[in-house]
Amino acid sequence: MEAEVIKAELVLPTHMSFKRIQMYEKYPKGQSKVRWKQLKQILQAENYHNYPPDEPNYVNIESPPSMHPCKKICDITGFEAPYYDPRTNLRYANADVFKLVRSLPNEYVQRYLALRKAAVVLK
Amino acid sequence: MPFISKIQRQTDYDLFPSSTPIVIDNGASYFRIGWAGENEPRVVFRNIVQRPRHKSNGETVTIVGDHDTNLLRHFDCTRSGPRSAFDSNVVFQFEIMEYILDFAFDRLGANGSRIDHPVLITECVCNPVQSRSKMAELLFETYGVPSVAFGVDAAFSYKYNQQHGICDKDGLAIYPGFTTTHVIPFVDGEPVYKGCCRTNIGGYHVTDYLKQLLSLKYPHHMARFTWEKVEDLKMEHCYVALDYALEAQLFQKGGKEAEDKSRCWQLPWVPPPMEEPPSEEEIARKAAIRERQGQRLREMAEAKRSSRINELENQLHGLEFLLQQLEHVQQEEIQSFLSETGYVSKQEIESTLMKVSQSLRKAKGERKAEQAENEEKADSSTSEKYPLVNVPDNVLTPEQIKEKKRQVFLKTTTEGRQRAKQKRFEEELEREKKNQQDEERRLENPELYLEQMRTKYIELYEKVEQRKRLKTNGGHTNGNNLSGGVGRGERLNAAQRERMRLLTTAAFDRGKGEDTFGAKDEDWQLYKLMSKDNDDDDDGADVDEAELARVCSRLQEIDPTFVPKPELTPAQPATAEAPRVRPLTKEDYQIVLGVERFRCPEILFHPNLVGIDQAGLDEMTGVSIRRLPSKDGALEDRLTSSVFMTGGCCLFPGISERLEAGIRMLRPCGSPIKVVRALDPVLDAWRGASVYAANLQFPQQTFSRLDYYEKGEDWLRRYQLQYTL
Repeated sequence: MEAEVIKAELVLPTHMSFKRIQMYEKYPKGQSKVRWKQLKQILQAENYHNYPPDEPNYVNIESPPSMHPCKKICDITGFEAPYYDPRTNLRYANADVFKLVRSLPNEYVQRYLALRKAAVVLK
Repeated sequence: MPFISKIQRQTDYDLFPSSTPIVIDNGASYFRIGWAGENEPRVVFRNIVQRPRHKSNGETVTIVGDHDTNLLRHFDCTRSGPRSAFDSNVVFQFEIMEYILDFAFDRLGANGSRIDHPVLITECVCNPVQSRSKMAELLFETYGVPSVAFGVDAAFSYKYNQQHGICDKDGLAIYPGFTTTHVIPFVDGEPVYKGCCRTNIGGYHVTDYLKQLLSLKYPHHMARFTWEKVEDLKMEHCYVALDYALEAQLFQKGGKEAEDKSRCWQLPWVPPPMEEPPSEEEIARKAAIRERQGQRLREMAEAKRSSRINELENQLHGLEFLLQQLEHVQQEEIQSFLSETGYVSKQEIESTLMKVSQSLRKAKGERKAEQAENEEKADSSTSEKYPLVNVPDNVLTPEQIKEKKRQVFLKTTTEGRQRAKQKRFEEELEREKKNQQDEERRLENPELYLEQMRTKYIELYEKVEQRKRLKTNGGHTNGNNLSGGVGRGERLNAAQRERMRLLTTAAFDRGKGEDTFGAKDEDWQLYKLMSKDNDDDDDGADVDEAELARVCSRLQEIDPTFVPKPELTPAQPATAEAPRVRPLTKEDYQIVLGVERFRCPEILFHPNLVGIDQAGLDEMTGVSIRRLPSKDGALEDRLTSSVFMTGGCCLFPGISERLEAGIRMLRPCGSPIKVVRALDPVLDAWRGASVYAANLQFPQQTFSRLDYYEKGEDWLRRYQLQYTL
């Protein structure tokens, strides 16, 4: 270890005096073998349907879809965009932007669409 | 930058008695830890962990929080990105959580065999019981904490501000966080979770959106847009527009106001060193050097030539001497004499002599006319070489006939070669004459000449384009192929049509029922007709194209304003590439933040912009009020007259006004609306928790290890803090 790294105390020491079980005892061979459950799995395992539905829980309190009409803005410039290009599915504000839209390579088109989660995802 | 990390190791851990609780604000962005009753958390750092490998000794180390990138160069950080213990706002990765807690307690100065203080830790609203129990287990088992309490950070912030009189005991807490945004109604000082509302959008999404937009707009500078840098930009420059459409129109018009509102970030850029026109001395010096080099080369060539001439002359003399000797020698002794010298016959000697003299003359640099003479002489000598050609067949023997055939063949080839040379020569002359005529025409009337050239260029261009279009055709229609008929839907040119016709007739015309194609030899001639090699359409095109190129170059020479028309290629390069041809200027290195300044925070109010189909901030307040169990008009009014904003995201300028306008749209006309902001949106959650923990009643709200194991998970699920003590 370089001197400056030690001096800056960048690295977490492996032995902590206040711990009952140290990390290297709990997780031998570095990373833990345990696969941590993702949020989706945690929520599934919670079994919220067993409990009364009006009791607030993590899933209950989520917001409903928006009632307001969707705001249509140009994907590239951010202005109001009443039009959309059927070939690429991007929204554009005026003719200049349209020229830009048509000249974009496919990679950029997909990235712009991905901003709106409208890109074609091939699983 | 309002967020800074504090990771100094604290030295006064031992000064605190066992009853003083440790207060932890476990947020998805920052982790804050400190002692109860204090005003500021002791240790603050970003809630991420990296596990890079050391470059030289290969061991994997753990680094918590964000650190000086300078020091990180010792480590190979490519395989490990920064990892967070959170998924949305719920802790799920407890290994990482353990690293973080390790680091936090270590920096707080902990020593001894266990953490001997009660711990108050924050969690998200309606935390799933699994996450809660694992956290409790971690604290009890690994750290030996005596008792633990869980609380919601928004509630702590609200209580703190309530004590300071910012908001009332009934109010709405709006908490845009890092990954989520919550709206929690408070009635009588306690949060009503039934009316709570959560949207999965937060500061993280705003920063990510800004990062993507900038990367797409300035692809060449993509490496500059790191997460940290973009976060800085966001905090410094972004604001919430009161009315998005109006602001967008302002920018679209592009007037002075838009200019004022745009911010420009100049990246470091060094102009390339200007090449000064070489001064006179430079030019003179360079010319002198070149002259000297030329001189040296010429001398070397001279020396070589003279040595070669000498050689040849010597050889010539030798041969002549040999010939002379041969004359003197007797007839009988010729053979033996010749065998000594290495030549077979007298003719051979003579022919070598001639060759040597020729090359000598060439080396001496005589003119081509003489060479032509020599060639003619050679020709005349060759006509002697073909003595048998003119002799009629019946006189010769069979061998001589064969000989004659060979000589005829040789003669015709040489004659053919000569003819070709002659033709080429004549063509040269022709071209020279034409060029000269051209020049004369140009000199006498430049304008007219130019016009003529231009029209010719346009004509040729049109013709070439037309032919190209006929051939390919695919890229220029808009997909409606009305000329369908021949199967592939493309218009075929004449040759292709012919080919198709031949194929179809060959396939269908033959005998009724049976396919007798190939029975006769002539049938196979069909393929010869069809062969694409016989296509001479292309030749015509080539001629035109060659002509076009010639005209184009001529025009470029003589007309300074002429610009050759670009070829129509089906795939046009991205406009970002086109300006590359000119040298890069200062402007290329400027990042302009115009519309992005207010477009990015807009997603808090319209999550649809990033594809998340949930309600925005202003709508969420309506939803929250609707969800309240008691429908009391007066209560709702009280709630809206104390709308409290906290959390890092509410630092955007203009967010309060926007929220007020949004809520006004939802509420009946004339209802009181007042939007207040926390005293310190970032740290108030921790401060509230600290005040709460310092309260004497706090220990009753905690649960100990025994409680945890005895009462079981169901009790833990129902465990909630009581916030009014």
